[in-house]
Amino acid sequence: MKFRDDFPLPDTAWPPTREFWAAAARGELSLPRCDGCQRFVWYPDGACRRCGATSRTWTVLAGRGRLFSWSVVRRAFIPQLEGDVPYVAGLVTIDEDPAVRLVTRIVDADPAQLRIDMPMRVVFRPLRFAGVPRTVTAPMFTPSHA
Amino acid sequence: MSAARADWGFPTPLENVSGAVAIAGVGEADHTKASGRTPKQIAAQAIERALADAGLTPGDVDGLMYTPFDGQQFTAGDYRAHFGTRHDMWVSTQGGGMVWAGSAPHEAGLAIRAGRARAVVNVFSVAWATQRAEMVGGPGEVHAQELFKQNLEVPFGWFPQPVYFATIARRHMHEYGTTPAQLGAIAVTCRRHANLTPAAVLRDKPLSLAEYLASPPLCEPFRKEDCCLISDGGGAYVVTSIERARDLRQPVVEVAGVGVGNSRTGAYWSQQGDITSTPQVFAAPGAFRMAGLTPADVDVLACYDPFTIVSLMQVEDIGFCRKGEGGPFVEGTTLHFDGGRLPYNTHGGMLSHAYVLGIAHVVELVRQLRGEAAAQVPDARVAVYGGYTGPQASTLILRRR
Repeated sequence: MKFRDDFPLPDTAWPPTREFWAAAARGELSLPRCDGCQRFVWYPDGACRRCGATSRTWTVLAGRGRLFSWSVVRRAFIPQLEGDVPYVAGLVTIDEDPAVRLVTRIVDADPAQLRIDMPMRVVFRPLRFAGVPRTVTAPMFTPSHA
Repeated sequence: MSAARADWGFPTPLENVSGAVAIAGVGEADHTKASGRTPKQIAAQAIERALADAGLTPGDVDGLMYTPFDGQQFTAGDYRAHFGTRHDMWVSTQGGGMVWAGSAPHEAGLAIRAGRARAVVNVFSVAWATQRAEMVGGPGEVHAQELFKQNLEVPFGWFPQPVYFATIARRHMHEYGTTPAQLGAIAVTCRRHANLTPAAVLRDKPLSLAEYLASPPLCEPFRKEDCCLISDGGGAYVVTSIERARDLRQPVVEVAGVGVGNSRTGAYWSQQGDITSTPQVFAAPGAFRMAGLTPADVDVLACYDPFTIVSLMQVEDIGFCRKGEGGPFVEGTTLHFDGGRLPYNTHGGMLSHAYVLGIAHVVELVRQLRGEAAAQVPDARVAVYGGYTGPQASTLILRRR
């Protein structure tokens, strides 16, 4: 399979996640909420797993969550990540529903100070990759001391 | 596990094939670093050796199973071209490696029982050491191709599999107190077994626990030694009816039980309901029920092991210890072939033997039950393979008759 020229930037036009990236460009964290049962549908890869409804509404979140787990990545597994290592990538749950986990970067934090269940808040940063001229604004998380 | 999390997956209902079929022949291609071979060439060698092992000719085989995931696997057309046969074959794409190395005997059993085939070859091969440089993220490429991962995970650098499972390992450490030294015990045991196995890629590279702990972090909490090697190689096995197996040259290795379990979130580990478990929790019970056995009856275990944590979770989830106690369980000599409570990956596994996604694990277990393995477990009578892919896991129980 040939990947897009700007891989690994997200394809912000891809319909299932287009609104996620559009909201990020506006500085908002937004996820789809099932119109049938109000549960967040993540990933939005089909009907709601709980009630089967297919209609959903993208909903802006407070941007607060908890650190579920992470890894400090010290090797670039693809050349585009050469400029990033070492970096921290992991999973953050959202306060609105702890069963929903966002894959994200953990930024502005000393990895040695990270703790599971630590409160986190969203920040918006550009995704910037070696050899890729464009950037895309993405939701990332940092420890929130509030 | 809380009630909410218990619903994170489900078993696949399977028909009872216990005692109906046997693995009558096994073969492995040479396992090497980059070799310039193609997966099809490797597969042909593995099949030739499996047929020789079974005492069958190419014309005797009328069924073929493989995994159509990379477009490079050995198909019925390849079989006819390579062996010069012309007869029709029963073909299944529910075979090959990973979870299917464990579930293929069930599918083959149904086909044999229905009279669709008499001798079924299950084959798997890779040339990822040769092809690695052209693959995006090496063997991670198949994950990068999945569009939700491509758009929601890869951009953040949560990619490829070492990063997924390092994240899962940290969570397992948090939830259950698992330690790096306990992951290291798995790596050290598998390396010891590989050092005793002539065909193992890392046969000449010893590893001590001190060396493991001193190894620099790769993607924390993983070290390089927590991750499987990458190699070119393959394997195959032949399934026949029990009656046919009795007439062939090898001791009968019966398929006693098969189970398959599924995660409701498919291959999205990030969303998996119980992220520190595997679908073995849904696969193993049915397999043991079908076999009329329990984990206490098992003499040797081999699990699909891309990472140490995946071994540890499967040991828990197949039922050899309580959930969360995998860390203490695998310490010391528990997993050693010679006197351990649960001899494990006695050929070295994917960590140290070869990265052929489980097919070599089944080959090794058959050899154990025949008494012809390199790191031989004394009087092995019951063996279990834990297969895994992401969305699914399988438990295959084999018994010497």
